[in-house]
Amino acid sequence: MRGTRVTNEPDTADVDEAPGGTNGPRRPTRRYWRAGLLRGGIELRHLLRNPKEMSGHLLNVVVALLIAAYVSDDVPGTSTPMAHLVLAGFAAYLLFQVGLVNLPQMLVTEREEGALLRLRATPGGIPAYLVAKCLLVVVTAVGTLLLLLLSAALFADGPLPQGAAGWLTLLWVTTLGLLAVVPLGAAIGAVLPNPREALALIMLPTMGLLITSGTVFPITSLPVPVQQVASVFPLKWMAQGLRSSLLPDSARAAEPAGSWELPMVALVLTAWAVLGFLLAVPLLRRAARRESGSRLTARHDKAARSGAPVA
Amino acid sequence: MTTPTTTARPVVRARDVTMSYGGIDVLHGVDLDIHRGEVFALLGPNGAGKTTTVEILEGFRRRSAGEVSVLGADPERGDDAWRGRIGLVLQSWRDHRRWRVAELLTHFATYYPDPRDPAALLALVGLTGQAGQQVDRLSGGQRRRLDVALGIVGRPELLFLDEPTTGFDPEARHEFHVLVERLAREEGVTVLLTTHDLVEAERLADRIAMLVGGRIRACGTPTELALRAAAQAEVRWTADDGTPRRERTEDPSRLVWELHRDADGPIAGLEVRRPTLEDTYLHMVHQENDGTDGAVNGKVRAA
Repeated sequence: MRGTRVTNEPDTADVDEAPGGTNGPRRPTRRYWRAGLLRGGIELRHLLRNPKEMSGHLLNVVVALLIAAYVSDDVPGTSTPMAHLVLAGFAAYLLFQVGLVNLPQMLVTEREEGALLRLRATPGGIPAYLVAKCLLVVVTAVGTLLLLLLSAALFADGPLPQGAAGWLTLLWVTTLGLLAVVPLGAAIGAVLPNPREALALIMLPTMGLLITSGTVFPITSLPVPVQQVASVFPLKWMAQGLRSSLLPDSARAAEPAGSWELPMVALVLTAWAVLGFLLAVPLLRRAARRESGSRLTARHDKAARSGAPVA
Repeated sequence: MTTPTTTARPVVRARDVTMSYGGIDVLHGVDLDIHRGEVFALLGPNGAGKTTTVEILEGFRRRSAGEVSVLGADPERGDDAWRGRIGLVLQSWRDHRRWRVAELLTHFATYYPDPRDPAALLALVGLTGQAGQQVDRLSGGQRRRLDVALGIVGRPELLFLDEPTTGFDPEARHEFHVLVERLAREEGVTVLLTTHDLVEAERLADRIAMLVGGRIRACGTPTELALRAAAQAEVRWTADDGTPRRERTEDPSRLVWELHRDADGPIAGLEVRRPTLEDTYLHMVHQENDGTDGAVNGKVRAA
């Protein structure tokens, strides 16, 4: 143990020998993680304080509750209320939307405003950005999911998982579902041109999948080719997995295969997760690498010419 | 002083840097040396290659050929530690709009090993009163000063300023100049400034390089550059009959002496105008365009 150590003398005139910037008090990776988590926390606080965005998330929950309250029949061939199928489907859609609509939009907007460039110019900025976005997306997704299920259970006699096994299924389907859509959403956000076009490009296929994936009515009422196309995408399997967690076992009679097909749920979602990661890593790296001051200026000029509000 | 800073390795060193996009050469062999603690201005008309040059130095763009060393490293392979020693202030940043001023600055301080104190930094850029305000609500000049604060929060050794005072009112511009001078003189920060503003360059820069048509056409102190102008000094006075007179000459002192000798007394309205940096600049641009483009030489007086 030495005596007192002067760590920094900010105002000495002759600091000419260039310390090299490696005398940090902590290891850099730890500092970046900390910065990322802090950043995620701050972004989350901004989200909670932003009435426009919050109402967007809450509106989804309200719409789901209203539809669930409106439908009164049972799922055909079972004694399960149709409302429960709708709620499970909407729960899946919420996860899907956070990953594939909200996340890409956020990425495109922040890229366009220059946040990505600033973080690129900051040591550890990009890893911290990704940590923050993951935190934000997971908390938003899980938060709205729980809000939907709990408020449905409270006000609309909605379904809750049965026993520990049901909760466990809810947990792994949610986790795997997010892993399937979040990296994919990041990849999409890395390539989409700008926020205005991005929304149009994303919303159309999303709405298509919402209708064809058996989220708000049984998929078996759709033509088989449509079912087959929908089965390629994660939403159908996320909804099916959540139904297996939320609906009584007898309700599986209404599933296309007559069972929950949980191994298939896991398989398809894992495949999308792997694909998403394979796409997201190089595409995000490319997006960050391509950022520069002149590209940013060019985009602002273009946006200004096309009449978009430039603040 | 035993070792003057100029003998040390330059902070920025570029040799024969070329850049071409799709067969079109944008830079034809740019050489630059910028020394520690120096304020260096890169001047040039739009499309001269300023942005490309700076982005190559910042590590945001791959050069086609040539050697570049910034803070001892090749910018194309600059790692996080290297990034941490560089500060950046760009024109087009509109990011983090929802963040509050102090919140944003405090957050960006966490990325650096030895950051400045955010509160002191806000005072330095004159934003203490806006600390709790949302970034969105700042005026253009305040936003730019916040960008400067974010650029120097990590105590960079090298600071890039891209057209920093565009849209500033005269007072804000003056304050900004004082700030940049302080950073350079008191803290030894090396500053690379790109600007269109000749007065700003003359005021701030120790040395100026003029980049025209992808080449450095002139480089030196503002005085050196002004003297290099092809333009001659201009002497103005009012003749005995009351008509204003002007004459261009290489030797204004001789002309003034002759005038006094002939007049045998004071001369009304006598004025000697030395060639300015602007004369040099316009001359360079004019030479490059060589009469093909009349727009830029509207202000060039017959030389």
